[in-house]
Amino acid sequence: MPDWGRTTLELMVQELQHPVRLDESFDRRVMVRVRRVHAERRHRGIIGWLGAAASISRRPAWAAALAACVVAVVSIGITRGTRTPAIPTGHAIPVQFVLVAPGAHSVAVVGDFNNWGLNDTALVAENHNGVWSVSASVHTGVHRYAFLVNGKEWVADPTAPRAADDDFGQPSSALVVEASTQ
Amino acid sequence: MDSSDAALVARVLHGEVNAYSALVSRYRDKYARYAVHMLGNREDAEEALQDAFTRAYRSLARCEDPERFGAWLFRILVNRCRTSGARRVRRGQTFVHDETALLNASEEHPAEQTMWREEIERALGELSADQREAFLLKYVEELGYDEMAEITGVGVSALKMRVMRACDRLRVLLREVHSA
Repeated sequence: MPDWGRTTLELMVQELQHPVRLDESFDRRVMVRVRRVHAERRHRGIIGWLGAAASISRRPAWAAALAACVVAVVSIGITRGTRTPAIPTGHAIPVQFVLVAPGAHSVAVVGDFNNWGLNDTALVAENHNGVWSVSASVHTGVHRYAFLVNGKEWVADPTAPRAADDDFGQPSSALVVEASTQ
Repeated sequence: MDSSDAALVARVLHGEVNAYSALVSRYRDKYARYAVHMLGNREDAEEALQDAFTRAYRSLARCEDPERFGAWLFRILVNRCRTSGARRVRRGQTFVHDETALLNASEEHPAEQTMWREEIERALGELSADQREAFLLKYVEELGYDEMAEITGVGVSALKMRVMRACDRLRVLLREVHSA
């Protein structure tokens, strides 16, 4: 520090070093922006993935399943979840659900389209070297779903938008299947 | 679960977007201080910090050393504050104090504390943006000149000159206040 006003400068720096605290609403505002970027990127990425699907066909079986997932995702619309309940309209298309979970012992898919896995309706995924996948016919409409890992851990799909409301106090993901896009 | 910067960055890059909120919480307050002092008001500072976090998220795959995510983010914020500062000059806004900081000032001598705080903020606002940036990085954020050079892209010699001139200017400004 310079020789002049050493005490004054030290006091000034001391004052300026007081922490500035932002409230938690700041975090929420940032994450809204981040999720918007994530959703935009995901939307653009789907188009890019489609072009790569042909090269995936020569890879192992689980990669083929992943490619099927890409095709399935392209055939549906995805939007943020709302409180709107599932709206079955009679049309059902195959949707591939994929979760990368190398350390998991079991993975199942539960959602409003299978009554959240009650009455043994959970969709049990197959393990392909840590990539768990399962396909299901899902009616057109708005759906919420999640992965049930090891029979107890409720995990939202990290690659899908989060549902605005979390049923059962657990995180869930949003899925919209639109008849017009089939 | 590993909560290091590198681990959180890896989780985000694997699609776990919510892991980014831990990084936001970790660096929010730490970097808010720099933005508030650099830009002179809380509103602009929060906007700059939000932009920095969002830009960092967009470019996360280009963060070459995720273990040093914080330093990388700070570089983005410093650049963002430069842009914001330029806008403010064009708008002709005045440099104002951080009201929240004033509210948190010492309760023993609130009037004196407030005046002192205002003097500091006014003096900081009188510095050129380059000088203010160099002074804050050197003395408030306590960075070394090499770190400052890495963040700002300015040479060490030029930074030392800016800090020296900032100190000279502050000496004059604060003495003027005390002699008035």
